[in-house]
Formats: sequence, structure tokens, C-alpha cells
Amino acid sequence: MTHKSLLKVDARTKKRNAAEKRFKTYGFAAIIVSMLALVTLLTSVIGTGASAFKQTYATVTVQLPEDKLDKSGVRDIDVMKKVTTIGYAKILNQGLTDTVAATGIATELSTKDIGGMLSKEAAATIRDHILANPDLIGQEVTLDLLMNGRTDGYFKGRVTMESAALDSNTSPEELALAQALADADIVHTKFNWAFLTNPDASDQRPEAAGLGVAILGSLYMMIIVLVVSLPIGVAASIYLEEFAPKNRWTDLIEVNISNLAAVPSIVYGILGLAIFINFMEFNQSSPLVGGLVLSLMTLPRIIIPARAALKSVPPSIRDAALGVGASKMQSLFHHVLPLAAPGILTGVIIGLGQALGETAPLLLIGMVAFVREYPAAYTPDAGLFGEASTALPVQVFNWTQRADPGFVERASGAIITLLIFLLIMNAVTIFLRRKFERRW
Amino acid sequence: MKDTHMQNSKISAKGVQVYYGDNHAIKDVDVEIADKTVTAFIGPSGCGKSTFLRCLNRMNDTIDICRVTGEIKIDNEDIYNPKVDPVQLRAKVGMVFQKPNPFPKSIYDNVAYGPKIHGLARNKAELDEIVENALRKAALWNEAKDRLNSPGTGLSGGQQQRLCIARAIATAPEILLMDEPCSALDPIATAQVEELIDELRQSFSVVIVTHSMQQAARVSQKTAFFHLGNLVEYDDTTKIFTNPENPRTESYISGRIG
Amino acid sequence: MTQHISSAYDRDLEAIQTLVVKMGGMVENAIMSAVTSLETRDLELAEKVRAADKQIDALELQINEEAARVIALRAPVSKDLRAILTVMRIAASLERIGDYAKNMAKRTATLVDMPQISGSDAALRRMAREVQTMLKDMLDAYLRGDVELAENVRQHDHEVDQMYNALFREFLTFMMEDPRNITACMHLHFMAKNVERMGDLVTNMAEQLIYQITGELPDEARPKGDKTAFMTKL
Repeated sequence: MTHKSLLKVDARTKKRNAAEKRFKTYGFAAIIVSMLALVTLLTSVIGTGASAFKQTYATVTVQLPEDKLDKSGVRDIDVMKKVTTIGYAKILNQGLTDTVAATGIATELSTKDIGGMLSKEAAATIRDHILANPDLIGQEVTLDLLMNGRTDGYFKGRVTMESAALDSNTSPEELALAQALADADIVHTKFNWAFLTNPDASDQRPEAAGLGVAILGSLYMMIIVLVVSLPIGVAASIYLEEFAPKNRWTDLIEVNISNLAAVPSIVYGILGLAIFINFMEFNQSSPLVGGLVLSLMTLPRIIIPARAALKSVPPSIRDAALGVGASKMQSLFHHVLPLAAPGILTGVIIGLGQALGETAPLLLIGMVAFVREYPAAYTPDAGLFGEASTALPVQVFNWTQRADPGFVERASGAIITLLIFLLIMNAVTIFLRRKFERRW
Repeated sequence: MKDTHMQNSKISAKGVQVYYGDNHAIKDVDVEIADKTVTAFIGPSGCGKSTFLRCLNRMNDTIDICRVTGEIKIDNEDIYNPKVDPVQLRAKVGMVFQKPNPFPKSIYDNVAYGPKIHGLARNKAELDEIVENALRKAALWNEAKDRLNSPGTGLSGGQQQRLCIARAIATAPEILLMDEPCSALDPIATAQVEELIDELRQSFSVVIVTHSMQQAARVSQKTAFFHLGNLVEYDDTTKIFTNPENPRTESYISGRIG
Repeated sequence: MTQHISSAYDRDLEAIQTLVVKMGGMVENAIMSAVTSLETRDLELAEKVRAADKQIDALELQINEEAARVIALRAPVSKDLRAILTVMRIAASLERIGDYAKNMAKRTATLVDMPQISGSDAALRRMAREVQTMLKDMLDAYLRGDVELAENVRQHDHEVDQMYNALFREFLTFMMEDPRNITACMHLHFMAKNVERMGDLVTNMAEQLIYQITGELPDEARPKGDKTAFMTKL
């Protein structure tokens, strides 16, 4: 075959070049689509969830009449506790009405309706405050109190005059008053620390619901997963990769580990329910059980990348170590593990990330329960991590089930929190990887 | 050191057979390797020369399916005796590999590693001395003395290989095994390593596996030709390269079909 | 012998050997022409011998260059190495024989004007014929790799030496008989000595050939016939 001029591109080459170009375009398109999906997800979540980090409060000046709050007048806490939140609610209603009157805003709403603009949580807040400081009784206090979900929603644009007209929980008049109060600086919006620290709240008060218990629960579980699955996983992978004889048994174990990684997570939930709760009788809903279940689930997901990391350490390094007379252990700990550490770490963090976001198995072991008490890491009764708790992903699941539209915002806020947790974990991994890799 | 019946013999192998699973890799090899000489193993790929080399410091132990029978004695002691710990053996029989494989650590740590794990130095000063001596013997001291703390992997290929030789020397071995030490190096680095091998002969028995016949001719005093697992011919290098006994050796070294 | 994996290597070696044989043929010719020109007092032929020596020298140069090239490019070992070494030494010996032939041709030109020494021309021719046969056999042995023939050539040197001894005595006699013969006899003696040296060189080549084939030089047990060094009287 004679070659034609190189300056002229022949038909075959043209076709090949076109195919190459097409292939590049497909790849680029795939990237665009996935980027769009990510951007959509993030905008949707952040769009609905960012407002959960802000909350509307009213600065209310309340008279605390002794005859209503402590008839005996001896400031006995036990007696004072007999006054329920309903009693405090009445005082609050009066307080807000007075505050409104003091600003000179005219309104036709009743005292009860004006008071209704505050959250039901507000009465509990002031009650706790008084019980903590009994000396305040008989005086006048000024407190920042939660507005209810609808009023809060109005300031976040979720509730409008039109929707309020159809809503039995609020009315256009109330919203108008709230707007007037906001103009008078009585009602204002500030960063919502309570969202991160408060426990969950009941169906009627999304404005008070927080992630405190869920964050604690997730934190405890991550500690358990780390403590249980990291050493076991790494030890198992080292044994399988470096010491185990290659025979039918180890082959079988290998196949099973790969299969375990692919087992649906809910199966681990059933397993946990059967073993840890029914058989070993650990506390239901406890981070201990949740953590152990997640550890089981994470183990194969740590073992597989850890083995890959060990395998990727060049055999020449092992040869070199053995060649100068290092024992197997020395070669492993002095040379192989440090080189495999970044890979192992990555596997660990990915495993932890998956565990952090896992919902299904936790539902089965009862972590979906409504928990208002902060779980202690250790109590003599419940033992280590034995107190009931929830977890971040479960809280998201839980909130999306609720009727009040305020919880949609809360759920998205919880997702953002979860993502931030993941981001922090990944940042730590990257930092650690860099640190290890710098040792050449 | 015990007296050996054969004067000057460092390694003595008798009837060595090596099996990889069902594959009979080394067939009944007898060889006497002299002290303070360079012995080259040559032969086509897969002829068993590297396998036999790795028998001499029991590197084959790490391969599950590898089985060695027969007798290999170093200084009249059977190294496959169950009482022999391969770790101790490998301190006495150092090894340099085909690809330069310095540890991903500093130059100093690379050389100091062996002496550290074998407890050859009582303090830092002694360790420094061992490192310096090893680097000097490996003809790397002048290039490396100002950068002892920079990574060994940052050196050039030839320097890396000399670092590996220094690392092997640092454990004070009596025998140095080299498995194609120059196959990944350019001609200049090769020449430097060959020059070094010739100097090492003063202090060690060097056994070198090489694919380059010219290299075997240049550096060794004794040459063994392996073919299909057999030791075909073992003689003075000069004899092998001017007038080999065996026609298979002749064909191989002169690049003939046969 | 089996072929090299690189066929160009084989071609290189063959080419050099062809050159050697060609050179050998030219030298054979030169020897015979030199004695014939003496016998027939043929100055033209003598001139041809002297001219042919230039070609022989050029061939030696070419062989050396080729040999150097093979050594540089192929790094020959064992048999190949011995073959190249042999080629270089044979070429050097052939060149030397060529020089002797040229020297004989020069002396022929001088001898034309001198009285004939009866029988000496024929004796010289017989001697040269013997050497030429040895050379021919040596070249055959070289082509065939025949150790036996080479050994045979080596043994023949003895006869050449004995012929030389006889001639030496003859020339001495002639010179003692009549001093006017001295110049011619001296020249003739040098020619005889040249032929004797040629025999030695052919013997060397045969020994070198044995080394090429067997890898070992033959031991010294070879009959030595040149006893003129010890001759004091007739």
C-alpha cells in the first residue's frame, strides 16, 4: 500500500477522529448531568433547609405575679412545680398583649389570640426559667420567646396572607400584627442554636424541634463503629492478606466478605434485633445496639479497601525488608502498613460515612423512637451508651413523616447538618492522608 | 568459622531440587561458590538462575508452593536446617534486587534500618558510623552525605541501586546476592554499579544473576550457566567465554539458535 | 555449527572468511610466480608479483577493518571470538608471506645479470611448491574446519626445513668453490630463507586454525628441521 500525503486526512482517520470526539462528548455530557443532579440536590436541600438555622423570636416583657406562680410565697420548688405550663401560658398571653399595647399598635385580636402567636414551647421555656430562678417571682422579666411555626413561617416566606386565611392555626390579622411587631423590633429573627442543641419536639411545635439528641446519638454510634470495626477490620485484612494460607477456606471467607458488603443494610437491622436486643438483651433504641449493628455493616466495607490498600503496596518493598533480614512482622509494621495507611484510612472514612447516613437498620432496632432526654454516654443503670437515642438520618426520616409543614424545613436542615458532618469527616481524612503521604 | 574440606568454599550446594507446585524448577544442582569472588549466574529467562539465587537466602520461603530439597551449606552449616532462622540467615546473606527498591524513607533511615533491627549499633554515634561506612563502600557517600535526610526515592536510578547495595552492606553480610541489579539502569549507572561490585569482592562473596553476558564477563571470576533448571556448565568466566565445554553454553553465549 | 539468532552476524563472519580465502589465493599465486620468474628470468612476471603485493596489503587492511567492526558491534565470544582472532592473525601472516614473495621478485631482477647456480632454481621451485601446497591445504582446512588437515600441514614444515638445510649446504659449497658465486649465492640464500619463513608462517596459521576450532593451541611437539643456526662447517 502506498501512503498518500500526510497533509491530507484520509476517510478512515476522519472516522476514527470523529468517534474519539463523540466519545469525549459522551463523557463530558455524563459529567454535566451528574453535576446538574448534584446542584439540584444541593439547591433543593439548602433552599428548603437553610431557614431551619434561623428562628423568629419575640422579646416579651412579662409580669410574674406571686399569687399565680407561688401562692404559698415560700419559693418551695416542689410546690412551684405544681403550676403547669397552662398557667404560665396565661401569664405569657397577658405579657405579650401588654407588650403590644406598650408599643401602641392597635389590634382587634383577643389576648388569647395574641398569646397564640407564641410557640407552645414558650410557656415551658419561661417555666424552666422561673423554676431555675425563683427570686424573679413578683418582678418583671424580659425574655426572647419562640414565635409559633406559622408566624415563623411568615417571616421565612413559607406562610402568606392567602394561606393564613385558610389556616385554622393562624389568621391574616395575626400575621399583620406580627409584621407590625417586627417593624417595632419586638419580633426578630436570629441564628437558631437551639436547632442543633434542642431535643425533638412534638407534632404541633416544629419551631422547637432540634437535633441535639440525634447528633449525640450519631456521635456515640460513630465512636462505637470506629472503636469496634477499625481494629477488627484492619486486623482481619492484615491476616487475610499477609498471613492466611491460600486455600479453599480463605477463598470461601473472601467470597463471603465481598458478599457481606453487598448485603442490604436492613438485613443487618434484623440481625441486630435478633442478636443484640432479643438474645443479648441490650436496651432498645440505644446507641450501643445501633453502633454494633452499624459496625457489623461497616466491617466488610473496611476490610475490602484495606486489603486492596495492602495489596497495592509494591512487593519490592516487602522483598527489600525481608532481604535485609526483617521479620514478617517488622516488614509489615515498619514498611507495609505505613504505605497502606492512606488507603486504609480512606476505606475507614467511607465506611464511617456510610454508617453515619444509614437509616434502615436503625429503624428496626427502635432508634426511631421519640426521645426528649439527652442520652448520657454512661449511666450505671443503662450501661455504656445504653440510653435511648435517635440518630441524624433517622431524625430526617422521622420529620419527613410529620404533618406540619414546619417539619419539611427541619428535615432539610437536618440533612444539611448530616452533610456538614460528612464534609468534616472527609476533611479529616484528607488531612490525615496528606500527613501520612508526606512520609514518602 | 569451621574449616571446610574444600579450600575457600563459601557456599556449597549439593543435589538441590526446587519445585513450584508441580513445576520442577531446579534439577539436581551441585555448585561450590568461592569466598571473595564474584560468581555470575547466566541463562535464558525461566532457566532457574533467580530461583536458585533466592534459595541461598531462603527468600523462596515466602512463596507457599515452593519446595526446596537437597543441601545448601554456607560455611559448612546447612541453611535449610529447621534450627536456622531465615531472619538471621538474611542478615548474613544480603540481597539486592532487580528494581532499585529503597524504602520510602530518608537515605539515612534506609541504610540504618538493617543495623537497627539487628541491634548492630549501641548508640547513635555507632549507627552514624555504620551508615557512613556502608555508603562509602557503596560509593554513594560523596553524593549523599549532604542529603542524608532527603528521601531515598528521590535519587537517580543508579544512586538508588547503590543505596540498596549500601543498605544490604550495612547489616555486615558475608555474602551479597544480586538479582539482575543493573537491568533497570542506564549504561553509566550500570558501569558504576559494576565497578562497585568489583570492589565489593574484597570483602564479600558476591553472587550475581544477570541477563547481560557482557556484564557477567566483565564482573565475575566464575560463571554458571543454567538452562531449563539444570546447571549446564560452571567454570572460570574466562573459560566460559572463550572456550566453553558444553555446546549449549556455546550456543547461548554466542547468541546462536540451539 | 548452528546459526546465530542475528543472521547479519553470520553474514559478517562469512564475508570476512571469504576475504581471507581470496587473500590466501593471491598469496599462493605470488609464491609460485616469484619462483617461476626466477627460473625463467622473467622480469615482467617479477614486476607483476611486486604489483600484486599492493593488492594483498590492501586486502589485509580490509580484513582488519571488518574484524574490528565485528568486534565493536557484535562483541563476539567463544568460537566467534576465536574465529575473529584467527582471521586477524591469518591475514597478518598472509601479508607477511606476500612481502617475502615481493622480496624474492626484487632479487630476481638483480639475479638476471649474474651467473646461474646450477640446480638451485629447480630446488627453490620445489621448496616453494611444497610451501604453496601447505598453504593450499591450510586454506582448505580453514574452509572446512578440518583439524586433521591443519595438523598435517603443521607436520609438513619439517620437509621445507630440510630442503632449506640442503640448499644452505649447497650454497656454501658453491661459494667456497668460486668466490665469484658469492653475490648470487647470497641472494639465492635469502630467497631460500624467505621460502623457509613462509613455511613457518603457514605452520603458524595452521596452529591458529587448530586454536580456532578446538579452543586450544597445539603443544610444541612439532618436528623442527631448520638446523642451519647450529652449522659451523659442512
